Amino acid sequence: MQKFDEVQDEFERELGQRMRRVDPPEGFMERLLERAESEVPVKSGRSKVLTMPRRPVFRAWVGGAIAAMLVAGVTGEEMYRRAQQRKAEAARQQFETAMQATDHAFDHTRASLQRAGLTLSESFGIEIKTLEPQEKGEAQ
Amino acid sequence: MQIDSIKFRNLVEQHQSMVFSIALRVTGEFGVAEEVAQDAFLELHRSSERLESEDHVRFWLRRVTVHRATDALRSRARRPESAAEEWMDEQHSEGPGAGLDFGIVARLDELLRTLPEAMRIAVVLRYQEEMLPDEIASMLGQPVATVKSNLQRGLQLLRRKAATTMKEYVRAEI
Repeated sequence: MQKFDEVQDEFERELGQRMRRVDPPEGFMERLLERAESEVPVKSGRSKVLTMPRRPVFRAWVGGAIAAMLVAGVTGEEMYRRAQQRKAEAARQQFETAMQATDHAFDHTRASLQRAGLTLSESFGIEIKTLEPQEKGEAQ
Repeated sequence: MQIDSIKFRNLVEQHQSMVFSIALRVTGEFGVAEEVAQDAFLELHRSSERLESEDHVRFWLRRVTVHRATDALRSRARRPESAAEEWMDEQHSEGPGAGLDFGIVARLDELLRTLPEAMRIAVVLRYQEEMLPDEIASMLGQPVATVKSNLQRGLQLLRRKAATTMKEYVRAEI
């Protein structure tokens, strides 16, 4: 391969001489400056937070996507909150049912002991007091 | 480097012949070349904050001009490659004294336009801008070997075309 950094032959020398730069046509500068001035100035420095793309279609698409994400986020939050409320309600109902069943069992036991001539305190050496309905609410 | 209108005007004055000449020799059309040159300078006007020095501006302008010129060529579907490849045929073998005479020199730009795009760009940057192959490779993002190959093949084609054109020229004179 020819070494370009070394001696050029006559053809290349003439090529280099012939291929001189040429000036642009008259009025080039004026036409260029006119175009430059008619352009919307671009802001110096870029936003460090978020730079929206310039193309309107793309910008609309991005705006729509952000709005959809926000709606999805709010909806998801609301659905999660309602699910938690439903779980809490179910747990409360289960607790009440359990308490009712326990009261019923105690009543049944107490009645059986009374029939046998005993009381709960005598049987277990402790004093067991059955809560009244109003007291149950306060205990919960 | 922040650009203002005075600085921009100075940069245009300083580089306009370089930009316009690259655009003209790559596109081969005066009107297209002016459009390409203006586009390159307008891009400089918009992007000047990123440019750090005069050398960087020159390098950047050359690269943008070449890219805009090739874009313009492609959009106009001006593809002389197929015609130029015919010149690679052995029947146009290089003669011993294939130097340029005045008549051929006068038609150089015309011959240059018939070169394939990659070869034409390499030849313009090498002989108009006096850039070395590794500088051209760096600017175009190509391997140095590719640039050297394009230069060598471009020169070879130019020699053959020049030799043939000269024969036709001499025949016409007779």
